Amino acid sequence: MEADDLSLVSKAKAGDAEAFRGLVVRYQRKVYALALGIVKDTDLAWDVAQEAFVRVHTHLGAFEGKAAFSTWLYRIATHLSIDAVRRERRSQKDELDDVNEANLAEGGEGILATALGNDPRENALRRELAAKIHEALATLPEKHRTILVLREVEGLSYEELAERLGIHKGTVMSRLFHARKKMQVALRRYAGLKPAEAPLDSGTAERPLRSGRTDSGGESEP
Amino acid sequence: MKDCIRFAPMIGAREGELPRDEAKALATHLVECEACRAFAADVAATDGMVAQALLARANARDFGSFADEVMARIGRAERPGVFGWLARHRAAATATLVPVLAALALIVYVRIEGGREPIAMLELSSEGEATTVIQTADGPVVLLEEESGS
Repeated sequence: MEADDLSLVSKAKAGDAEAFRGLVVRYQRKVYALALGIVKDTDLAWDVAQEAFVRVHTHLGAFEGKAAFSTWLYRIATHLSIDAVRRERRSQKDELDDVNEANLAEGGEGILATALGNDPRENALRRELAAKIHEALATLPEKHRTILVLREVEGLSYEELAERLGIHKGTVMSRLFHARKKMQVALRRYAGLKPAEAPLDSGTAERPLRSGRTDSGGESEP
Repeated sequence: MKDCIRFAPMIGAREGELPRDEAKALATHLVECEACRAFAADVAATDGMVAQALLARANARDFGSFADEVMARIGRAERPGVFGWLARHRAAATATLVPVLAALALIVYVRIEGGREPIAMLELSSEGEATTVIQTADGPVVLLEEESGS
């Protein structure tokens, strides 16, 4: 697969437009998925994904093949996505990455695991939640969305995340922790799952989601 | 709880991502701590859901025009010369050209309007006596004031 990439890159460098088109077709959906996870909006993600390919084409001559073509492409797409989000909301306050006691046990940990069970294919709740993931992801701050998407869609390691985002490995780990906690809170709400008892009252106000399940009364239960 | 602050961010690490001693300490902590164990179970249960959901949305979208649009954008970006620059930097070109064109339009307007009527009345003083010059389309016309008492 990667050899094919290099062969197409080599032809594209020599001016073969069809070879570059082949690379676009090969990676368009994954680049779009990556951008969509970060920018949230489908039209903006479409535009960012296209711009990523345009930038790649512009700088193709400088690509030496030291890293995989896909890594280079995703890196450009990530930066364009982050830029696009930041242009839209420069004024929003950034949250700290520190982990404190209030973040640790907000109540309800473990019930997702119990409800989702072990077999992903057979679980109806998992299928139901899959349709809500994008909405849940959209409730997260940009930096939490970005790190979760890069970790899951691109599969980056802690070191790669640190390098890509220009942060320390420790910050990567704590930022991922916050991102996961927030996703879990959102998913529990969508699923109508409420903790039997909260181990700690974090005092953190959770923003109600627009379309949580109402049949279980999850939104209104004490 | 202090241990949780240390270990909770390590939950979800892949094999080899933590130093061996850290991984061992995390495993020991998970045995002892129910809250972290529950969080770890949730992380494991939801692992991969984000990627699956986003790729499913991408796969559901029609990408029939995507590559054509990219190639068209590349074509615009590569157009040589001034027109190529204008195509690539449409916003900057607009921001630059609008005030220039507005200034040119203003100059042309003043010239045209100035050709139709007297531009201004100019008052010249010479040795205490006032003389008025009117600029007309036919050229300047000097109005001489009558001497008082004459």
